[in-house]
Amino acid sequence: MAKEASREAEEGGEFADFLADVSKEIAQRVESLDKRATPVAAAAAEKKLRTPIAGEPGVIVEWPSIADRMIEEMR
Amino acid sequence: MSVVNYGTREITCKIVYYGPGRSGKTTNLQHVFSQLPDERKGKMVSLATDTDRTLFFDFLPLDLGTISGFATRFQLYTVPGQVYYAATRKLVLQGVDGVVFVADSQSRQRAENIESLQDLHANLADEGLDPRSVPLVMQYNKRDLPPAELSPVEEMDEVLNFRGVPHFSAAAAIGGKGVFETLRSISTLVLARLSAPATRES
Repeated sequence: MAKEASREAEEGGEFADFLADVSKEIAQRVESLDKRATPVAAAAAEKKLRTPIAGEPGVIVEWPSIADRMIEEMR
Repeated sequence: MSVVNYGTREITCKIVYYGPGRSGKTTNLQHVFSQLPDERKGKMVSLATDTDRTLFFDFLPLDLGTISGFATRFQLYTVPGQVYYAATRKLVLQGVDGVVFVADSQSRQRAENIESLQDLHANLADEGLDPRSVPLVMQYNKRDLPPAELSPVEEMDEVLNFRGVPHFSAAAAIGGKGVFETLRSISTLVLARLSAPATRES
């Protein structure tokens, strides 16, 4: 009986040890993950909020000629 | 499969136990399952035939809870070892993050071990993964059998472990020996990739 109880404690310990190791490993990695993810997230937010400026690639300012070209291409 | 999803703060690792038929892959998962505290015990899915052979695959989800702000889940799979289930092995390997190769230490199983390892490499390559860089550990199982029946560890290393990855040569999965050591080792290798440049993120 005592042997059984001791075995159970040992078995529970196996998983607990594994969990502790994994937790330690993740904790070590999380810092580097945070550092890597933060600039990307900030850049994405800035990109989303900033108003496009004339002259930037992809910004259309000459509406009449663009419309003409679109109509022409649709024909 | 993404190892880490920063947006949802989730870490998911898929670990596949690979190896020839009857090498002890399912036994590894059964031991892990038996050691889980009740509150973490999910459902182990195991499809076996009447003769105890894995028909399709085994799947054991391990929910480790929130670690450093990340909901962490490990998914453990086995593949059917028999040669004719090649398509299933390919399917199970999809999105794999780490592999445990469970080799049968009996000397008469030498050819089966080699064939299975070659099969693993071919399937990883088909998946677009470099077999030389995928996180891998070797488990030389059944070391509890009579020494006369076993291949020496050095020989198994020479034949199977040309990458020089961590190996567990004192394994006897049926009694649980070496099972958690193996899992801990592959988990560390997989998690180490979280900060490596080649980490896949979503």
